[in-house]
Amino acid sequence: MLQVNINGQPRQFPEGLTINQALRQIAVEVPTLCHDDRLQPYGSCRLCTVEVKGVNGLVTACNTQLRDGMEILTHSDTVQGVRKTLLGLIAKDYPVEAVAQFPDKQFHRYLREYNVKAGGSRKSPPPAVPYMKDTTHPYINVDMSQCVTCFRCVRICEEVQGQFVWKAWNRGDQTRIGPVRGETLQDGGCVSCGACVDTCPSGALEDLTLLLRGVPTDWTKTICSYCGTGCEVNVGTRNGQITTIRPSMEGPSNHGHACVKGRYAFDYVTAKDRPLSPMIRRDGQWQKVSWSEVNQFIADKLREAAAKHGPDSIGVLSSARGTNEENYVAQKFARVVLGTNNIDCCARVCHSPTAAAMKMTLGTGAATNSLDDIALARTILVAGVNPTEGHPVTGARIKQAARHGAKLIIVDPREIELCEFATLHLQLHAGTNVVLFNAIGAAIIEAGLVDQEFIRTRLTEYMEYCEFIKQFAPEQAEKICGVPAAKIREAARLYATNKPSLSVHGLGMTEHIQGTEGIMALVNLALITGNIGKPGSGINPLRGQNNVQGAPHMGSEPKLLAGYVPLTEARGRFEAAWQVPIPTNPGINMIEMMEAADTGKLKVLWSIGYDIVMTNPNMHFTRRAMEKLDLVIVQDIFINETAKEFGDVFLPAASSFEKDGTFMNGERRIQRVRQALPPEGEARSDWEIVCDIAKLMGKGEHFAYKSAEEIWNEVRSLWPEAAGISYARLDKLGGLQWPCLDENDPGTGTLHTDRFTHGKTTALRRIEYVAPPKLTTKEFPFLLTTGRNLYQYNAATQTARTPNDSIHSTDYLQLSSADAAHLGLANGEIVRLRSEQGSADLPVKISDTVKDGEVYTTFHSTRVFLNQITTSHRDRYTKTPEYKITAVRIEKLEPVASS
Amino acid sequence: MPQEFKLILKHLDNPGYTPDIECYLRHGGYDALKKALAIQPKDLPDGKKASPQEQIRDDVKLSGLRGRGGAGFSCGLKWSFVDRRSGKPIYLICNADESEPGTFKDRQIIHKDPHQLIEGMIVSCFANDVKLAYIYIRGEMPKGAKLLNAALKEARAKNFLGKNILGSGYDLEIHVHRGAGAYICGEETGLIESLEGKRPYPRIKPPYFPAVLGLYMCPTIVNNVETLCNVKHIVTMGGPEFAKLGTPNNTGTRIVSLSGQVKRPGYYEIEVGKATIGQLINDPAFGGGLLDGRKLKAVIPGGSSSKVLKAGEKFKLKRKIEGKDVEVETDMLDLPYDFDSLQQAGTMSGSSAIIVIDDSVDIVGALANLSEFYAHESCGQCTPCREGSLWMSKTLHRLTHGEGRKQDADYLVKIADNIPGGKTICAFGEACSWPVQSFVAKFKDEFVAKGAADEERRAKEKVQPKIATPAERKELTTAH
Repeated sequence: MLQVNINGQPRQFPEGLTINQALRQIAVEVPTLCHDDRLQPYGSCRLCTVEVKGVNGLVTACNTQLRDGMEILTHSDTVQGVRKTLLGLIAKDYPVEAVAQFPDKQFHRYLREYNVKAGGSRKSPPPAVPYMKDTTHPYINVDMSQCVTCFRCVRICEEVQGQFVWKAWNRGDQTRIGPVRGETLQDGGCVSCGACVDTCPSGALEDLTLLLRGVPTDWTKTICSYCGTGCEVNVGTRNGQITTIRPSMEGPSNHGHACVKGRYAFDYVTAKDRPLSPMIRRDGQWQKVSWSEVNQFIADKLREAAAKHGPDSIGVLSSARGTNEENYVAQKFARVVLGTNNIDCCARVCHSPTAAAMKMTLGTGAATNSLDDIALARTILVAGVNPTEGHPVTGARIKQAARHGAKLIIVDPREIELCEFATLHLQLHAGTNVVLFNAIGAAIIEAGLVDQEFIRTRLTEYMEYCEFIKQFAPEQAEKICGVPAAKIREAARLYATNKPSLSVHGLGMTEHIQGTEGIMALVNLALITGNIGKPGSGINPLRGQNNVQGAPHMGSEPKLLAGYVPLTEARGRFEAAWQVPIPTNPGINMIEMMEAADTGKLKVLWSIGYDIVMTNPNMHFTRRAMEKLDLVIVQDIFINETAKEFGDVFLPAASSFEKDGTFMNGERRIQRVRQALPPEGEARSDWEIVCDIAKLMGKGEHFAYKSAEEIWNEVRSLWPEAAGISYARLDKLGGLQWPCLDENDPGTGTLHTDRFTHGKTTALRRIEYVAPPKLTTKEFPFLLTTGRNLYQYNAATQTARTPNDSIHSTDYLQLSSADAAHLGLANGEIVRLRSEQGSADLPVKISDTVKDGEVYTTFHSTRVFLNQITTSHRDRYTKTPEYKITAVRIEKLEPVASS
Repeated sequence: MPQEFKLILKHLDNPGYTPDIECYLRHGGYDALKKALAIQPKDLPDGKKASPQEQIRDDVKLSGLRGRGGAGFSCGLKWSFVDRRSGKPIYLICNADESEPGTFKDRQIIHKDPHQLIEGMIVSCFANDVKLAYIYIRGEMPKGAKLLNAALKEARAKNFLGKNILGSGYDLEIHVHRGAGAYICGEETGLIESLEGKRPYPRIKPPYFPAVLGLYMCPTIVNNVETLCNVKHIVTMGGPEFAKLGTPNNTGTRIVSLSGQVKRPGYYEIEVGKATIGQLINDPAFGGGLLDGRKLKAVIPGGSSSKVLKAGEKFKLKRKIEGKDVEVETDMLDLPYDFDSLQQAGTMSGSSAIIVIDDSVDIVGALANLSEFYAHESCGQCTPCREGSLWMSKTLHRLTHGEGRKQDADYLVKIADNIPGGKTICAFGEACSWPVQSFVAKFKDEFVAKGAADEERRAKEKVQPKIATPAERKELTTAH
């Protein structure tokens, strides 16, 4: 401990603090304009200067380390005088109106506290070197006449987001902050993460919504409802309206950062087309009905179907967008009320292969490490995932890790944004993951770079693996996967020696016929190099949806119960707790439900928060199957494409801003979702809707929950690994990572440290390569792969109803300049993309981030309906669709002659 | 009679002396390097061995060499701060961004004797295990950059640079980097940022002390051109011998840039402290006195940012006489030209540039000129300097354009007092405020009189003082 004297008071502090950090611990505030906890100390505003006895001149508190014996004066006449003078100099031309408008802005508060008057006015003529103004951005208003030159926007864009949009121009008093190129933020390459606005102390940068709707009167801490990063955010509301969302500095997964979706794409909540009451379609027309009427209608229909066709004629799809509590209630409803295991969720179309593969190999089907480990890793393997678009906050953290010296290995057929920061880009042919990872394994073994100790103590079947893997020598693999043998060897060397090595992966790994096997091949690499069970290492799926880790974990899976335990193993325990038998018929998953609908076995489908038509591959098949159903219940916040085309009943659900519960993010962290707004209209939480129908169907005693917390308490009583995660602890500590066995357990950041979940050792799997059945032909010469765009989110149910849609309004077909030249296509030209399944029309974007012969697009737009053409191939284990490969041809559309 | 003492300038102005390597070699060039490379490890009394590198570094310490760039910091001490255990490469940068108004010594060396600098650098790099060094040369010296590049090429051809220098096993490469016309690049951390390809915003210290976290966050030595040349001579002469030059704690020689209203402006190398300011101005060997009919008004003794000395000012200098510390009253002209005496007189020898000001000069105008320079050169990173330098310049502009006020003198001091003393990131804050503080303090009557005259005139004409419009402000700061 350091003995320090502050303003005459003796104090003790631990070592390693700056003076400013120490002062804040004892609630002594010195003004700081250029300081932000997310940034490196900068020391440019000079407002935080303090007097330190024995030191010649003043010292800045923000960048000076506290030392033993220091005597510090924080508010002496000298420093107060300096601060007042400096504030006066900064405020000499500052618009006085801004101070009046937002008196609580950090800079404005300092002016008030130091009794300094702003000397400028918005009516004053602009200076000779003008200030930047930008009113073109859909979310951010830029008025640099309010700039106090603290450089926080420049630095946060560089140090947190890694985008380098802002730049200081000119020098001296003519220093002006502006975009690095062009006139507007978007010219400068802005990705609209809002970090610069969040850090701006004066309002030179401000959220448009806040300017229009006013400063929030209430703040609610909750979890972002988009991707699986699980960013903690503060939702600012005023008069029952969201005026701004800010990242939470305490957020364990985001540490004060957010992206364009979580930060800005919230206005869907009040979208004009949001249905506000339950509806039943009668004679082809939606009719508004009361909750009691719709509930009775559904209860009757479900009873009728069960009586007529048996309970397995009904399927329930729960939502990875909903809370854990809602998913738990939905699966319990299927099993207890309906008597079927036909319950699934949208994890089926993304990371089911990951969960299955990791469950088999490691014992737990979830990320082995934490997002914080990204900063600890020295090598990061980014496989089949495009984090800067799909998981922007995680993507930004990977960029920062690379900027601080971590080596990136990118495995992707496309040149994704992270390639710019990467040491190696293994640009494989789509669908050859197994070959590439086996080849890396072969190269590691060939070079003798394995972790002998780990192999001896934790692995079995190593010799068999060595023998098997020989056939995947890099030179052999090169012929199939297209990655030069030398690069494979270099990747092997980096991954195996520049440790700890951490892997993140996404749907480029899972959405293949060998999705599950590809993950196992990847897990093998971590095992033979000992990159598991240690900080900064592991296998870490980046989960796509806010609760896609949680939904199947709650038992919204035909074969699993809460805690991701097989139904076959845990049946007794759950039956004892629920006091009802669980149906013995094996349930069918979402893909099988579509097949069952097509063959007439499934009659009723209740889809909660999932747009089947828009999302499932091979849309023509989906439509044909959906058409055959007797009853389609859609429970969503919007009339999605499924409801529009096939819905018989619509139940308006509350959005995640309008309810309580918990989400589980991609690093196994359970975090609290809190209600910030009352539900719009008659919308209700998914669990409330389901519970009411359960009551009407005579199972009320099993669904007598009064709050989300009661449901959660039932979950943790049945799932030992979450037993220690109570709402009270979540409220006090923030999110907790399971396993968390009791209320003293801090949670588990790193799994498998000295044993795997299923035992001390695990076996290496020998993964054969199975070539994807559909490769290009003369008729369909291009390989199409699909992915996500930063501004849209999956089926775009939410984002298309926000200004994000104005930034990215359609899906584009990306193809190489050589292919474009060959086909005679120009940017923006509409082409017809045709596969065996169907066709879709979309504009061309020429981009050499894709290889010749491969094309790429997203599937967000309801104007394109890209899934009309995707394949019907599935992962061999989990039936996850192979979205990532479809053979297509590109047809030039002849311009229609106008008459 | 004090005389020039030519150590560094020994040959370069001699007729027939050319900047090429053959000429340099004919004059004993690169002998110091050969000597350095031939040094053998030496046994120390405690049983340890001193490596050749450590021996050179010790010699530099013994020589008492102080930095010739401006701060006068001990070179040996600076080198001793270098983090040699980080496992990272150590870089050496020659600061050839000579930009301080009044200073024109380094450019003589660069243009006329570039190999002397290069040899000094190679020896210094060898002594510090540096494998890669840079010469950061001021953008306005394109010819100097060309000459240096040519000289480096010659040195490489002779294997004084490159791999395995003269068979010693030591590798070194030196690159020339041209600045782009910003005074702030002379500040060592600003220079480093610029060399890294960024805006030359000086870094905060702590934590970015170049000796630990310098170029590319590696330990880095930044030395001035003249300092590095001296290292060559220290190796040649030996540290203790070098320390005999000059006066105690002010060893060696210095090249003084003499400008202003003297008969013989120019650069003169002297033993440090062996000539007074008065001798440098008046002695026929140096300035040769003021222009005919002029009277001395003031002297800026160490580059434009040093505090001005007023003619006739007296200082109490601490002197050791017969082993006793005594205070001797000394006229400003009798101040020995060294580091310590000028510091005792409240100013500094800085970049050893003497600017002589005679009675024909309007002191307010002179300060306005200086201030304009600093307002133009402020990088804009930290508040006091960015805002303060402009406001001082603006006030002085007012005073020199008939818009002054009586209280402007006090106002100037108020701003100037709020800039230096740890209130800014780098020493530019001091550089821009010291002239203002000292000019106004020593010539306050002239400032007040000027303001008063303006007020009177305006009262007569019944016009209000005009506030400078933004357009005028632009003109003010982009006048160069």
